[in-house]
Amino acid sequence: MKSEPLILGIETSCDETAVGIVRGRTLLANVISSSVEEHARFGGVVPEVASRAHLEAMQPAIAQALKDSGIALTDIDGVAVTAGPGLIGALLVGVSAASALALALNKPLFGVNHLASHVAVDVLTHTKPLQPTIALLVSGGHSSLLKVADITGDITALGQTMDDAAGEAFDKIARVLGLGFPGGPLIDKDAKAGDRKAISFPRGLMQAPEMLTHPFDFSFSGLKTAVARYIAATPSAKRADISASFQEAVVDVLTMKAIRACKETGIESLVVAGGVAANSRLRELAGERCAANGIELRTPPPALCTDNGAMVAALGSLAMSSGRKPSEIGLAAESAVPVSRAIWA
Amino acid sequence: MSTLIIDTATDRTSVGIFRDGVEVFYAFHDGAIAHGEALPKIVAEGLKVESNISKVVVGMGPGPFTGLRVGIVFAQTFASARNIPWVGVCTLDAIALGINENEFIVATNARRKEIYWAKYLNGVRIIGPSVAKPEALTEYRESKFGFGFTSELSPHPKYLLKISEERKNDLIEPMYLRNPDAVPTIERK
Repeated sequence: MKSEPLILGIETSCDETAVGIVRGRTLLANVISSSVEEHARFGGVVPEVASRAHLEAMQPAIAQALKDSGIALTDIDGVAVTAGPGLIGALLVGVSAASALALALNKPLFGVNHLASHVAVDVLTHTKPLQPTIALLVSGGHSSLLKVADITGDITALGQTMDDAAGEAFDKIARVLGLGFPGGPLIDKDAKAGDRKAISFPRGLMQAPEMLTHPFDFSFSGLKTAVARYIAATPSAKRADISASFQEAVVDVLTMKAIRACKETGIESLVVAGGVAANSRLRELAGERCAANGIELRTPPPALCTDNGAMVAALGSLAMSSGRKPSEIGLAAESAVPVSRAIWA
Repeated sequence: MSTLIIDTATDRTSVGIFRDGVEVFYAFHDGAIAHGEALPKIVAEGLKVESNISKVVVGMGPGPFTGLRVGIVFAQTFASARNIPWVGVCTLDAIALGINENEFIVATNARRKEIYWAKYLNGVRIIGPSVAKPEALTEYRESKFGFGFTSELSPHPKYLLKISEERKNDLIEPMYLRNPDAVPTIERK
């Protein structure tokens, strides 16, 4: 067991080829090579395009991370890699590269859960203990509320989206509004010039009966339809008002349910993570509501909210320093995997 | 001076280690979607026999994309971590080297009812590699076929090694031969 292990982390679950290096809880390098521009003309991430880009970007990303951190590959204590959930062909590039590193250097390999590592990245920017905490994980592929007792092995999913992920809803509405891809940052920017109270869009799964059956689940498909219908029926509407009102409907539900999860579990800490956590209105509203309820809010800086390698290295570092057994060589990448499996066996 | 040889361009994940041209390890695993798990396990076994590797050779396809990438990124990363060179060779050339004929076509399964193929004459690739429906090859019916449909062909590491030593056709990029399927939004109906 080593208290400050030097870990190299690789993330390729979607369209970012990312390599991060951390020593204990200290970030040393965070290199991200994104293929997002290649996907823009398709209106979304194309798995085969992403996988090809991962292969092209992998060696340069590793080399750049080593350069940025000033360490030699032979100095590292272990390798961590996102093993799921994600696009299987994309994951396999990262897992194969990480396995090669572990075998070439004769170092332990940790296959880690993408969702857990989004939460674990918080240890790189906050010195207080991470757990126990509630985590609101929102990205283009995921929207979950998690109860984290131990980020390396005791995570319970309290709820998740029943249809679209929050980020997916942003992408789809951005397309309808003609803003482009990816939608999150574009709507966030557009909304700043709009009135978030201009239009009252529906809040999914917030009615009293739904709150009994799905207290911590989300649904954004009804909202999406409502926005599309509104746009079709109201050609004169100001686009920024639609952006702002749509965004408000999403972040209102996310923060209400996250606060409720904190209250019901008695856990006074909330981590908001994942790509959508870079949204300025989500950060603002979460801040207001946490302050009003005596809950400590922790949001990683936006650069560590979107997919990155540092979060993978951070979870690998926590696993190694807590004495977790490394994963087996030949671990299987998996497109769908529950968050309860933080580290692969 | 030992060479680690990897090919994942067919359903077979093949790994060999040759010391001064002599085979000291050879193992494979058959399974169309098993490359990602099989390759590291087999290499781990091989490194127990010989860990002092000074070069990596890898089959660059053509082959089904996901499995192909597993072998290539593994080879590249292993080489970079050990600070040793890697050499990419055409998988069909390696298969051809093991066929004792003057004129023939090597074909492997490209999925979607298509094949990856190349034609060889007196030990030289004269056509391909290409991807096509098998029917498209009828004009070459005088040639002998090694079809990946009936009996799956895969290269033995010794042939990959031999080609890498000739250094005639080093490949840097994977031989995908097909573009991704996606259609840009603007071209959709």
